[in-house]
Amino acid sequence: MPLVDVRVPNIGDFDNVPVVEIQVKPGDEVKPDDPLITLESDKAAMDVPSPQRGKVSEILVSIGDKVSEGSAILRLDVSGDDSKPEPKSGNGKGDEPPNETPQQPAEAAPPKPVSLTPVQAEDRTFPAPDFGSVHASPSVRRIARELGIDLTKLTGTGEKGRITKDDVKRQIARSEPGGGARTGIPEIPAQDFAKYGPVETKPMSRLKKLTGPNLHRSWLNVPHVTNADEADITDLEDYRKGLDETAKAKGYRVTLVAFLLKSAVSALKEYPDVNSSLAPTKDALILKRYYNIGVAVDTPDGLVVPVIRDVDRKGILELSQELSSVSARMRDGKITPTDIQGSTFSISSLGGIGGTTFTPIVNAPEVAILGAMRSKMQPVWDGAAFQPRLMLPLCLSYDHRVVDGALAARFLRKICDALADVRQLVL
Amino acid sequence: MSTDETREADHTCDVVVIGAGPGGYSAAFRAADLGAKTILVDRWPVLGGVCLNVGCIPSKALLHTAFIIDAARGMTKQGVAFAEPQIDLGKLAAHKDAVVKKLTSGLASMAKTRKVTTIQGTGIFAEPHLLHVTSENGRETSVRFEKAIVAAGSEASTLPFMPSDPRIVDSTGALELRQIPGKMLVIGGGIIGLEMATVYAALGARIDVVEVLDGLMLGADRDLVGVWQKTNARRFDRVMLKTKVVAAEAKGDGIHVTFEGENAPSEPQPYDMVLIAVGRKPNGKRIGAEAAGIAVNERGFVPTDKRMRTNVPHIFAIGDIAAEPMLAHKAVHEGHVAAENAAGKESYFDARQIPSVAYTDPEIAWAGVTEADAQSRGIAYRKAVFPWAASGRAIANGRDEGFTKLLFDAETHRIIGGGIVGIETGNLISEVCLAIEMGADAVDIGKTIHPHPTLSESIGMAAEVFEGICTDLLPQKRS
Repeated sequence: MPLVDVRVPNIGDFDNVPVVEIQVKPGDEVKPDDPLITLESDKAAMDVPSPQRGKVSEILVSIGDKVSEGSAILRLDVSGDDSKPEPKSGNGKGDEPPNETPQQPAEAAPPKPVSLTPVQAEDRTFPAPDFGSVHASPSVRRIARELGIDLTKLTGTGEKGRITKDDVKRQIARSEPGGGARTGIPEIPAQDFAKYGPVETKPMSRLKKLTGPNLHRSWLNVPHVTNADEADITDLEDYRKGLDETAKAKGYRVTLVAFLLKSAVSALKEYPDVNSSLAPTKDALILKRYYNIGVAVDTPDGLVVPVIRDVDRKGILELSQELSSVSARMRDGKITPTDIQGSTFSISSLGGIGGTTFTPIVNAPEVAILGAMRSKMQPVWDGAAFQPRLMLPLCLSYDHRVVDGALAARFLRKICDALADVRQLVL
Repeated sequence: MSTDETREADHTCDVVVIGAGPGGYSAAFRAADLGAKTILVDRWPVLGGVCLNVGCIPSKALLHTAFIIDAARGMTKQGVAFAEPQIDLGKLAAHKDAVVKKLTSGLASMAKTRKVTTIQGTGIFAEPHLLHVTSENGRETSVRFEKAIVAAGSEASTLPFMPSDPRIVDSTGALELRQIPGKMLVIGGGIIGLEMATVYAALGARIDVVEVLDGLMLGADRDLVGVWQKTNARRFDRVMLKTKVVAAEAKGDGIHVTFEGENAPSEPQPYDMVLIAVGRKPNGKRIGAEAAGIAVNERGFVPTDKRMRTNVPHIFAIGDIAAEPMLAHKAVHEGHVAAENAAGKESYFDARQIPSVAYTDPEIAWAGVTEADAQSRGIAYRKAVFPWAASGRAIANGRDEGFTKLLFDAETHRIIGGGIVGIETGNLISEVCLAIEMGADAVDIGKTIHPHPTLSESIGMAAEVFEGICTDLLPQKRS
């Protein structure tokens, strides 16, 4: 009785996805593409379809089990099935079978097939789609294979409906980055680091796994430019320290971030294009008449960007109190979806840690992000002598499709001026 | 991932390739070019496999000679008479050997330049990541590998009842040119048998051909083979279709062969030489497949997917051992695909067509779908034929017996296949191959200006025939 192990196919970037439903039981007859089990990732639930006709002989997982690409989920009795079996390995690397393989050959074990799926002679139609009579030249077929694009699902725009390389590239652009579809960017080849020394695999936090694709998407989509400037915050620091003394007694702190928020609003009001998003059609700006600013907060699990709403309508003390309580909630992991939605601009402050400049990634679809570094007492020429002034390095990364260099410089200068003269913040 | 085996091996590598024929050396060279530490194992001391050493290349050296001999004889009609050729078999064989040596030594130096290590011996899997190589003198070497590409080829099928006698040879023996037989029997009416028959006929042998099936060079459309048969009728005393050899006895005056079947002579026939060319069988059962868990089917093929992976994902199979057709040019492309996948790339064997050529005289070449294929698979097609009798160049050559046939999809008019018979058609078919891969339609081919006067023109003309616009033939009826 030929038994075939059915494995989890390529499910995108997800590993250790829980099994949430098992849709078949031993003895069930299944056809190709019948759903066998359901997996639930961070993003979506997905069914694992049967690769071929057969009778379920044994289920190898239970609800709640974590599986990854290549994990065996059940055994299929395929006697009498002459349809084409799915390849067991969909990972495109042609590497060793996954560890769960029950028939994995052990060294010096008596010879027995490692075979996971029987394959048939002269059968070239699996595992990938057969391009059959698709109207595409060998070079286009090759690039489609490399990028994992199924040409049978494409409509060619070339002469006589021929699929061109541009059609393939457009298809890549359409497929959602970070989703299951490949982005068309060459993968960094996997390496066996253990060959060079001891290694340990540390799972990434859920937060990091979620923020990674977002940052990647922004990085790929937004043409980034970063400008840097310095604000004289000597006077502001005196003022802040005074406020902070009072606040401490009341159980919160007044930090520079509250002032950054206020100065950002004054600059956003003066330069409304920076408080915008590019329309999806990319031929218009959507200007926002509200000022919600995301503030990057470092937590033990990774970066979170809670949104402080209506910054224009709040004073320094109110903002300081809100920042204190929000940061505490974020660090405790008590994040609700509304905490992180709806920002129009973002601020990332590394002032508490150090550094002189950096290039933050724009939190798309916003068009700019302000970065603040650690302030430093510096000699500043006042026209007659060097004066000791407390200088704050600031940087602004922006979407160059929306903001040009001159606007960015003006915007950043406006923030610096506002910080240098606190009186401006109340105007 | 590395393997957990720790047993010591004499060699370790990223990719081991078993078999140094065209598929194997191409795979090894491509793997090396992609940065893999590569070892190439072959049982022979020279690279190139059957194709270079005892197949395609030496047979072409002899076929070219045969063509010149026949062409010289044909000149009599044009008023130029040559004396009968003086054939020095030893010198001819030496020329053939020099051709082979030039190519194989070129391969050896290319392997060296690429830092591909070659090991002589028969490779047998001992474990999923370990190969044992036994040399002719019994010395055993072990190779531990990350990936393996099996390119161990095929061997000539034998007829068990045939006696052992130097006058009974396979294609390898026939290429040795030990003698020019007065009377020769070719068992098997396939391409290999008929190519060797072409050589020996030109050298002066009288030839009988026996084929168990109902046709010569099955696989090619009958109309193409028909031209070859008509042209070659004079070469053969007997063409015995649907007939088989049932016994043979080696006697002093020849090999006495007994036939059975529709066209069998009643008496055993004596021959000075008997060539057995009844096909080739893959070497899948000779590689220790079970020790690595590689599935081999009952015919000896190692089945693969489109990435040339066997059921064991780190082991690939290419060429004759993987699947029909057993052709060097198919093996080379498969070898590249396997090597690229072994190096972590995404590569697929996505060919639309694998051309076949019988290097007989005239040559028969075909690519893509044949008419017989189209009919059996229910493909709606339309064909267009341009007879070489209307080709200025073919007439000038004194060889206008051929024709060029193209098959087009009935609906899209895209080319799906083509077959050509005549001299040089092995070279002509490439245009059809390219057109199929590129998805050209009849207008694309017809509107492409072909040089005049050439045989290649016939392809453009056939496309014009399809369009009904060919002015080198009588006006066609508009359909």
